[in-house]
Amino acid sequence: MTRSATAARPLGITVTHVLLIAFVILAIAPVLVVIMNSFKTTPGIFLSPFGLPDAETFSLKGYESVLKRGNFLVNYRNSILVTVGTTAAVVVLSTLAAWALTEYKVRIAPLLAGFFILGIMLPIRLGTVPILRTMISWGLIDTLTALILVYTAMQLPLAIALMMTYFRSVPGELKEAAKIDGAGELRTLGIALPLVRPGIAAVASITMLPVWNDLWFPLILAPSRENQTVTLGVQQFVGQFQNDYPALLAALTLGAVPLIVLFTVFSRQFINGLSAGYGK
Amino acid sequence: MNRTAARYRNLILFVLPALLVYTAFAVFPLVNSVGLSFFDSDGPTDVFVGAENYVHLFTNPATSGRFWNALGNSVEFFLIHLIVELPIGLLMAALLTSGVLRRSVGIYRTLLFIPATLSVVIVGFVWRLIISPLWGVVAFPLLGTEATALPTISLMSVWQYVGIPMVFLYTALLAIPNDVLEAARIDGAGGWTQFWRIKFPLIAPQFGLITILTFIWTFNGFDIVYALNGSAPGPNYSTDIFGTLFYRTFFGSSGQVADQDLGATIATVISRSSC
Amino acid sequence: MRSKLAPIAVLAVATLGLGLAGCSTGGGDDGDSVTISLGSWRTEDIAMWEDEIIPAFEASHDGIKVEYAPTDTNDYNAAIQSQVEGGTGPDLIMCRPFDVNRAWIGDGYFDSLADLDAVGKFSETALAAWTGDDGTPYCIPVASVLAGFYYNKAIFDEVGVDIPTTQDEFLDVLKTIKDDGKYAPLALGSADGWQLGYNVLYNIGPAYWKGEEGRLGLIDGSKKLTDPDFVAAFAAYDALKPYLPSGYESLTYDDMSQLFSLGQAAILPDGSWNINQVTSTGLDVGVFGAPAVDGKRYQQEMPDMAFGLNASSKQKEAATEFLEWLATPEFEQLYVNKLPGFFSMSSNTISYDNPLATEFAALKDGAELTPRLALDRLSAGTPPLDDEIWRIAQLMYNSDLSPEDATAELQAGLDSWYTPAG
Repeated sequence: MTRSATAARPLGITVTHVLLIAFVILAIAPVLVVIMNSFKTTPGIFLSPFGLPDAETFSLKGYESVLKRGNFLVNYRNSILVTVGTTAAVVVLSTLAAWALTEYKVRIAPLLAGFFILGIMLPIRLGTVPILRTMISWGLIDTLTALILVYTAMQLPLAIALMMTYFRSVPGELKEAAKIDGAGELRTLGIALPLVRPGIAAVASITMLPVWNDLWFPLILAPSRENQTVTLGVQQFVGQFQNDYPALLAALTLGAVPLIVLFTVFSRQFINGLSAGYGK
Repeated sequence: MNRTAARYRNLILFVLPALLVYTAFAVFPLVNSVGLSFFDSDGPTDVFVGAENYVHLFTNPATSGRFWNALGNSVEFFLIHLIVELPIGLLMAALLTSGVLRRSVGIYRTLLFIPATLSVVIVGFVWRLIISPLWGVVAFPLLGTEATALPTISLMSVWQYVGIPMVFLYTALLAIPNDVLEAARIDGAGGWTQFWRIKFPLIAPQFGLITILTFIWTFNGFDIVYALNGSAPGPNYSTDIFGTLFYRTFFGSSGQVADQDLGATIATVISRSSC
Repeated sequence: MRSKLAPIAVLAVATLGLGLAGCSTGGGDDGDSVTISLGSWRTEDIAMWEDEIIPAFEASHDGIKVEYAPTDTNDYNAAIQSQVEGGTGPDLIMCRPFDVNRAWIGDGYFDSLADLDAVGKFSETALAAWTGDDGTPYCIPVASVLAGFYYNKAIFDEVGVDIPTTQDEFLDVLKTIKDDGKYAPLALGSADGWQLGYNVLYNIGPAYWKGEEGRLGLIDGSKKLTDPDFVAAFAAYDALKPYLPSGYESLTYDDMSQLFSLGQAAILPDGSWNINQVTSTGLDVGVFGAPAVDGKRYQQEMPDMAFGLNASSKQKEAATEFLEWLATPEFEQLYVNKLPGFFSMSSNTISYDNPLATEFAALKDGAELTPRLALDRLSAGTPPLDDEIWRIAQLMYNSDLSPEDATAELQAGLDSWYTPAG
C-alpha cells in the first residue's frame, strides 16, 4: 500500500508527528497511570496519583490479592471461551445468513434482512428477565453457553448488515462461472468466501470488544465462581463502601492486557480487512 | 417455478440458524418485556391495564419529569459525543494518511486505538482521578457541577471510542484510488487542497454511518454513566440518561423500590423513539 | 489462512470447551455434603467470610459447605431480582432494610422464618426492618451500624480544640480548624448523595426532630417536613457548608475517607462500618456523636443487614441451619470482631475487641436511638423520600437552596403519593 507522497516539506512532517504524538500521549497516558498505580499501596495511590512507585509506596499486594482471591486463571478461561465462542458463532451464522440474503433474490429476503437490521437498535438488556427464564427452563442457567447464545443474538444484526455489504460486492461473473461448472450452493459460497475475508475480520473485531468487556450478562447468567468472566471478577474488588484500590487496579490491568495484545498483534489484519473491503 | 422454490428453500436454510438464535434470545425476550408494559403486576396476579402505564409515565409529574430529563440528557450526550468525536477522528485519520509518515503509521494507529479496547471501569476510574479536585490536576469540580457533569462524561466516552471512527475514516481514505490523487497532484494541488477538494467529499458518506452507529450506541449505552455514578446519577439527575432511568426503575436501588411495569414502559418508549 | 473450516473448527472447539465449562452449577449435592450459597452486597467482606466465618460454621456443621457470593452493591438489587424472578438465586439472600425488603417480601422472594428458634433472640424493634405487614419475620438480623463523627486526635491537639457537644461548639471547632489553615475541617464532599443523607443529615438531624417522635410522626402524618423542628435540622446541616473542602462537589465518599485517613482533614462524618478504613494508615482516631440540642442526645442506630431464606432454594434444610447459627454468640462474636463497626442486634452478650468500635458503641449510652429517617414506609412510592433527600441534600450544598424550600419540596413529593398510616 504505497502512497504517493506529496512534496513533503520538513515542516509538514514535523507538524504531523507533533500532533499525532500529542494524541498518543492523551490516549496512552491514562492507561499508564492505571498500570503504574496498580503497583502501589493505597496511600501511595492517593498521595501521588501520577508519581511512579518509590521504595515506600511500591507494593505487589494488589496483584497478590487478585491472584489469591481473584480466581484469575478461571476468569480468563471463561472470558476467552465466551468471546471466542461468540465470535465464531457470529462469524459463521452471519456469513451464512448474509450470503443467502444477498444471493437469493426473493420477496421475503429484504423483509428478513430488515428484521435483522432492526436489531441493531434493540437494547437487549431490556429483555433480561425473559432471557433468564428461558435459560432456566432449558437448563442453561449459570453456564457459559447461555452467555454465548445471548451475545450471539446481540451481535448478529450488525454482523449481518456488515457481511451483506461485503457479499454484495462479490462479482456476479464469479458466481455464474461457478454455477456453470456445476457447483452447488455451498461450493459457490466457498468460492466467494476469500473475497469477503476482510468482512470476516471486521465482524470478528467488532464482536470481540463489547463481549469481552460486558458486565451485565455475566452477572445475571453466569455469576458463580467457576463461571465468572474477567470483567465480573474485577467487580468483587469494588466494595459497598470502600474499594480495594490496589487489587482493583491490578485486576483491571490484568483484564485489559489480552485485548490490548490481541488488537496490537492483529491490527494489521484488521485494517487490511476493512480497507480491502472499502475499495470495492 | 422450481428455481424460485429452490431459492426460497436455500434462503431459509442458510438464514435459519441466525434467525433462531436472534429471535429466541433477542426478539422474543424484548417483546415479552414490552408486554409487561401493558400490565400491572403489583398485585397477586397480573392485570391487563392497556395504555395506563404509558399515561402514568407521561402525566405523573415525578415520573414524566425524570423521563423528559433523561431524554434531554441522552440527546445532549449523543450530540457532544458526535460533534467532538467526528472531527477528531477525521483529523487523526487525515494525519495518518497524509503520506508523510512511513513505518510509524502502524505504531500510531495501534496506540490510538488502545482506549477503545479498555473496559469502561478503567476509563471511569482513571479520568475521575485525573479531574478530581483533590487528587488530580483540575481544581474545578467538573463531575460535581450540574452543568458540566454530563459533558464531562460525554468527553470521557469520546476519549474511549474515538479510535473507531478514526479507523473507519482511515480505511476509507486509504481506499481512494491512487490515480485520482495522482491526477490532482499533477494538476498542482497541494496537500490541503487535495484533502478538502478530493478526499473529504469521497469519504463524506462514512459520516452518515458513523453518526447512526454513534446514535445507537450512545442512546442504548449506559455503561460509562453507570460505572461513574451508579444508577441514580447525579448531581440532581443531570447525568441520568435513558439507560440509567430504565435500570433504576426496573430494578430499583438500595433506596428505591422496583417498578417493573413502568420500567418496561420506559423501555418500550426508548426503543420506539430510536427507530 | 481463513477457510470455511476454520470458523467451524473454532466453534467446535469452543462448544467442547463449553460442554466442560458449563457442567458446573453453583450449589447442589456433592457426594454427601450440601453446598449453600449466600448472596450479599458486601464485596469487601469476602476475605473475612472465607477465612474465618465459613470455616467456623463448617467445623461445627458437618456436611454443609457454604459459598459466599457477593455482588457489587450497585448491581445487587438488580441481580437478586433477576435471579429470583427467574427461579434461581442464592439460597440465603441478604436483606436490605425496610421498604425495599418489604417489596421483596410482597413479591414472595422469602420463606417465613416464624418457626425458627433464632427469632426469639431478637427484639421486635430489631426484627422490624425485616418483618412483613402481618408481623411475620422474614430475615434474621445480622448487624446494625451507627453514625457518628470520626476525628483525628492529633489534629485536634495541634489546633487546640475539644470534642464539641452542642451545635454552636461544633461550628466553633470547625471555624478554628479552618482559620488555622493547615487542615480541612471536614472531610465531606457532595458527589455521593447517599452519605449526605445517611451520615450527615440523619446523623445530626434526630436531635432536632427528636428521633422516633419525628420519624413516626412523619409516618402517621402528624408531622410534616415543613415543621420547624425539621427545618431546623436541615438548617443545621446547611450550616456546615462553609467548612467543606474546595472542589467538594466532585468529592466522593471514597475521596472523603482517603482525605481523612491520609491525615489531611480533621473530622469525617461517617458510619461505624468504616473503622478499618479510617485506622488503616495508623492515625489516632476517636469518634464523637452528634451534637445535643437542649441537652438531649440522639444516636442513629440502623439495622443494616440480615439474611432471609430464598423461597426457591433447593437446600432449605441446610440453609435454615445456617440461619439458626446466625443467632449464636459464636457467630456474632466472630462477626463483629472481624468486622469492627458492625454491632450485634440479638440479646446475646457480646464483647468488642476493637477500641474504636467500643468507643462507637458507647455513644449509645445516654442517647435515644433512632434508625435512618426515611427508609421505613416513606420510600415505598415515587418519588421515594430517601432518594429525594439525597438529591435535595446535594442541591443544598451545591446551590443556594434554602432549608425552607428544601423541606417544602420534599414534603410536596411525599404528599404526592403517601397516605399516612393512621
